[in-house]
Formats: sequence, structure tokens, C-alpha cells
Amino acid sequence: MSLLRSRRAIPYLLMAPGLLWLLLFFVIPNVQMLVFSLSEGTLRTGFTTPPDVWDIDNYTGSISRFSDNFSNSIVYGGLATILCFLIGYPLAYAIAFKGGRWKNLLLFLVIAPFFTSFLIRTISWKIILGNDGPALAVARDFLHLVPANFSIIGTPLAVVGGLTYQFLPFMVLPLYVSIEKVDRRLIEAAQDLYAGPWRRGGLVAGAIFGAFALVALQVGLGYGAFVGEDAAPAAVVAAGLIGAVGGGLVGAFLISQSFIRVTFPLSLPGVFAASILTFIPAIGDYVNPQLLGSPKTQMVGNVIQGRFLDQNDYPIAAALAFLLMAGILIAIFLYARLLGTEELTGGTA
Amino acid sequence: MTDLDQRLATLPLTRRVFLQGSSMAGVAAFLAACGGGSSPSPTGQASVSPSEGATAEPTEMAIEGPLNFANWPAYIDLNEDETASPTLDDFEATYGIEVNYQEEIEANEDFFATIAPQLGAGLDSGWDIIVLTDYMAARVVRAGWVEEIDAAATPTAHANVRDELRGLDWDPDMKFHFPWQSGATGVGYNVVSTGRDLTTVEDLFDPAFKGKATLLSGYPDTFSLVGLMLRAKGQIANVPAEMTFEDAQAVHDYLKPFVDDGHIRAFTGNEYLQDFGSGDTWVAFVWSGDLASSGGPDDRFVFPEEGSIIWTDNMLIPKGAQHKAAAEAMIDFVYDVANAARLAAWIYYISPVKGAGEEIAKTDPELAANELLFPPAEIAAKMYPQMALADEDDIAWADLAADLEGA
Repeated sequence: MSLLRSRRAIPYLLMAPGLLWLLLFFVIPNVQMLVFSLSEGTLRTGFTTPPDVWDIDNYTGSISRFSDNFSNSIVYGGLATILCFLIGYPLAYAIAFKGGRWKNLLLFLVIAPFFTSFLIRTISWKIILGNDGPALAVARDFLHLVPANFSIIGTPLAVVGGLTYQFLPFMVLPLYVSIEKVDRRLIEAAQDLYAGPWRRGGLVAGAIFGAFALVALQVGLGYGAFVGEDAAPAAVVAAGLIGAVGGGLVGAFLISQSFIRVTFPLSLPGVFAASILTFIPAIGDYVNPQLLGSPKTQMVGNVIQGRFLDQNDYPIAAALAFLLMAGILIAIFLYARLLGTEELTGGTA
Repeated sequence: MTDLDQRLATLPLTRRVFLQGSSMAGVAAFLAACGGGSSPSPTGQASVSPSEGATAEPTEMAIEGPLNFANWPAYIDLNEDETASPTLDDFEATYGIEVNYQEEIEANEDFFATIAPQLGAGLDSGWDIIVLTDYMAARVVRAGWVEEIDAAATPTAHANVRDELRGLDWDPDMKFHFPWQSGATGVGYNVVSTGRDLTTVEDLFDPAFKGKATLLSGYPDTFSLVGLMLRAKGQIANVPAEMTFEDAQAVHDYLKPFVDDGHIRAFTGNEYLQDFGSGDTWVAFVWSGDLASSGGPDDRFVFPEEGSIIWTDNMLIPKGAQHKAAAEAMIDFVYDVANAARLAAWIYYISPVKGAGEEIAKTDPELAANELLFPPAEIAAKMYPQMALADEDDIAWADLAADLEGA
């Protein structure tokens, strides 16, 4: 009897350290932040906290005042996620299916940048993209494509590039795990059932996706003030055409029906996990816009950082942090709905 | 002194996170500790309470180290191969106290934010000497967040501080501060990149420099200089110290289009030195001595025709400092005329020490004629102090600056 009772207690005992940890370091700080977010004042002038004051204006005022920063966050975070996916999926696929005995080495190389500090990696990008760096040495000094005062640092391109680089491993690793798990016999079965190249379907789907991705990139990067020029309609059309042609070619010649009907659907849980793991840190990042951006490319993370640590304006900072958290939760909810949660969590297990 | 080299080169390994005190102070200190402001490791007499430290008799035997000294970049003399500081070496040899010298302060506001939570909660900030510009030093002194500097321990400093730096309204009797250096804010540029000599603030807004210009973060320097430019153009009436909020709004409105079209790439602290080095910045608002001491051979500083900003950075001992006697010893040490002359000759700022100029003239007459160290009368006549704002105004102005900085 007592044995049975203690067995029932085991799951709770196993969960206890985790729950305690969450309570101490997640729930309590968040309650504190919630109180801050409804308070008034700064560290210097002192705070008036609830229940004396319920300053909802911290939320409503922040949304309108920092709408530029919010849209920067969403656009840059989204673009970085799309780019990570476009780079990361073929990479993960190649490692999982064609890696052979190099598999472990290739995976190690994906993680290798993590052995260097995040800050150092971003600063090296500042040097690579900077005035003396190789990027401008080619574009400006060798090809004479851009004027002497052109700089990549300070543009959305630099920020999105930095984000993409920083979070690529977060995309590749979950994708690799889920692609690696795909049962090869299913692919062979598909091929036995006449799954050949994707041809016509691939051409259409590839063209649509390619056009969408390149237009998103063009509009996203041209969005806000680009040093030199803004996104022009002609450029958007050109980007769409190039994307459609490129995507169509890839779809028609490189993608097989067995991939689109077997491998890709089975790797969807990995796509879901990987894109969330990439999007969440990317949207909240403040190091890349700080070091690689300009005043026009600051994201919400920069405002939160500045308000907390430079201006000691905790209420606005806390309100912004909660808004960001709410925004991310809503986005994930919609995304999960779009991809179908049952299949992602329970269905494939 | 390879020991010192390492200390100059490496950041402290530990950081102090204070979680005691009221919950709000705890969170505040925690945030500050997370914010990249690394506090020095408390390897000294951690058991000495602030009040005991404050009343300890500063005899030579009682001085405890290490001295945790937070200063700005390019603000200490270096030896030939730039591995150690002769001034700090001499101080260590004289007093037998280790100096933990950190170039931790890039901007007044940022550094203030890293120590304000601890000081506000009545805790030790971890520093024994900090160096803040007038308006920020005044704010810290008014808040009562500093230790009183023992006059008996600092006779040289009291004797040698220049007369015009005495009698400030926020500390008339030098009880809480001693100037470290004075300097000017003006326009810095790389003459090879710009292809011409610049003479005015307005030159910075030349379309040819689009994307290659930076200003200083916060309002005191940037709004003062742009204010002087607008005053020269007749758009506002007041000198920086008398600027109204409407004037600040005018400065903001003038700068906003230049930020929006990418002409101004960034608002920086002292890191403009790196950007000049890489060529990412061609023109910028800079502090007078930095480019001369730490910039490249083509980097120039100009006192703009519209006028320049004069300020003084001041040494303060934060409340609860663990090694107050060592801090007082350092303050007295740098007010020795020979030490002050050596320091000023390297860092190219205006020494607050009487007789330092004559001392430099004895050994290096050319340097004694340098307008960075000794601004001539026609430049000095157009030097204006920064505004000193009350707390509410400061928040409103900082908000204007934050809007320009995009965050």
C-alpha cells in the first residue's frame, strides 16, 4: 500500500526540481516585471507601483511610440528565419542523407562557431562588412559598383545577415535530427511506386516560393532607409522574376516527388521546432542591430535594453518585454495552427 | 610589470550580483549586473564595512588595495609599446597598492546606469574611483552617492587644483570631487577620407559624408554642438547652458532628417575611436584629445567656428567604496605637478593642475604650444559649458535624444 503511494509520488518528485526552478527564476521574476510594467517613474525619481497606480499607458503608449522598432523586429526576425531555412534545409538534408562518414565532422562544423563568444562573432562581422573589410574591397575597390562613401554597416542587410549567421545552427540541428529520422524504406517504396522528378509541380511551386522569398527579402531589406536608395517597384518586380526563375529551376530539376511526398512531410516537426528556435532569439536580439545597424534599424530588443540599462526606465522596458512575449506567443500559436499541431506533436511519435 | 599588463588587458573574472535588500533594489542590481557593466572583483578587504572604511585614518600603513579605478578609454598615459602605464606603475611602486584600472566608461549615462542601482540601494558599487563629466558628477554628488574626500589625505590636490575649477556650486570646497582632466567637444575627421579640412559643425552634414558621420550618444554633447550651429545660423538664441526645451526640440527636428536618410550612421560613445580606425567613420563629434593620443596620423580634431563645448571629467569616490584611502592616495598622486605633466603630455587633454603647463614647457616647448592642451584665447572665448538640467528636464531631453537614436 505504502509502496503504491510512493510510486504515485515519483512523477511529482521527478518534476519538483524543474518546477521549483521555474517558480524561482521564471514565475517570480515575471510577476515582478508585470508589476514594473504597470508602474510609473524611473530608478532616479523612484517608482509608484500597483495598487497605487495601474499605468496601462505603458503598453498602449509603447506600441505607438515604438512601432518602428516592432516592425523592424518582425521583419528582420522573419527574414532571418526564412534565410536560415533556405540555407539550413539543404545543408541538414545533405548532412543527413549524403554525409556518410563525414556526418559527425560536418555537424561539428555547424556548431563550431558557438565555441566563440556571440559578441566576438558579431564584431567580426562588423570587420568583414566594414570599410576595410573584404566585402567592400570587392564591391567598391575592385568592381567599382558603389560610391566611396557606401557602407554595408548600418543597413538592414547587415543586420539581417548578422542574425542569419548567428542563428543558423539553431535551424540546422533540429532539421538534421528530424530528416535523419526519416525511414529510408519509405523513400524506396515511393520510388517503386513511380515517384520521379517533380517537374511540372516543382516548377510552379518553386516559382511561387522563390518569387515570394526574394520579394520578401527585397522589400524587407529596402524597407526603412537604406543608405543610398529605397525599395523601388521595379526592383521588387525584378526580385520577383529572379526568384521565380531560380525557384522554378530548383523545383523542376532538383526536387523529386519522393522528397515532396515523403521526406519533407516527415521532417515538418523539425521545421516547426527549428523555425521557432530561430525566430524567437532573432526577434528579440539587440546585439546585431546595435553593432551592425544604424539608428533606423534598431529592434525592440534595443529599446528594452536602452530603457532598462541606459535610462533606468523600468516600467516602459517591462511593458515592451511583455508585449514582445505576447507577440511571439501569438505568432507561434498561429504558426502551429497553420502547420497542424496534432501532427507535429503527437502524430508522428 | 607584466602583472599590470594583464590587468590592463583582461576584464575582471567575477562579477558581483547583489540580490539582498528590497526586492526592487535586488532586481535593479541584478539588471545592472547583467547589463555588461562588469564590476571589479572584490579581492581587497571585503569585510571592511563602508562606514569603517570612511573613518579609517589614511596613514601609509593602513592603505589597502587593490584600487578599483574606472576611467574612460584613451585617458591614461602608456609606455612606448603601450603595454603599461608609467603613472600607474609609479603609483604602485610608491604606495605598494595594486591598481585595477579599467577603461569601463564609454558614456556617462551608460556607466551611471550600471552603478545607480547599487548606489541607490545603499550598496558598494565595486569601484573606488569613478570619473564622470560635470553634469553627471553633480547629479551623483547631489544624490549623496559619494564619499567625502579627506582633505588631510589630499594636500597636494588641494594646493594644486587650478583656481577656475574651484568653487563650483555643486561642490564649492572640493569635498567630493577632484577634476581628472578638462577637454572640449568638437568635430573630428579623417583628412584623407574627407579630402578637405573641416572648420565648422555644419561641415559634418555635407552630403558627401552620408553614412560616414556619427554623433555622440545622449544629449549633453550632441545637442550642445548642434545648438551652437543653429545659434550661428540664427535659428535659436541661446548658448548651450541656457538652451530651453524648445531649442532642444529645434535641434531634434534639425537632426531627424539626417538620421532618417542614413546620413548619421550611429550615435556612439568612445567607440568612435575604432570606427575612425577602420574608416567606417569619416567625420564625428569627438572629445578633443582622443584622436591626437589614440587616433591615426590622418585623424584631425578641430574646434568648430560656431564654438566648442568645454567640460571637466571629475574623480569621485562612490559611496561605500572599499578602498577609500587608496583612492585618496591616487587623487593626491595625480595632482603632483610632474605626474600631471606626464599624464597631460600623453593624453592631450587640459590638465587641472596648476603648473603642469610650465612643467611641460620645460621639456617640450612644441607640446606646450599645442592648442588641445592649452587652447589659445580666440578658441577659449568660444568655449561653452554644457547644460545642467534638473531631473524632470533631463528625462524629457534624454527622451528626445533616444528618439533620434532609434530606441
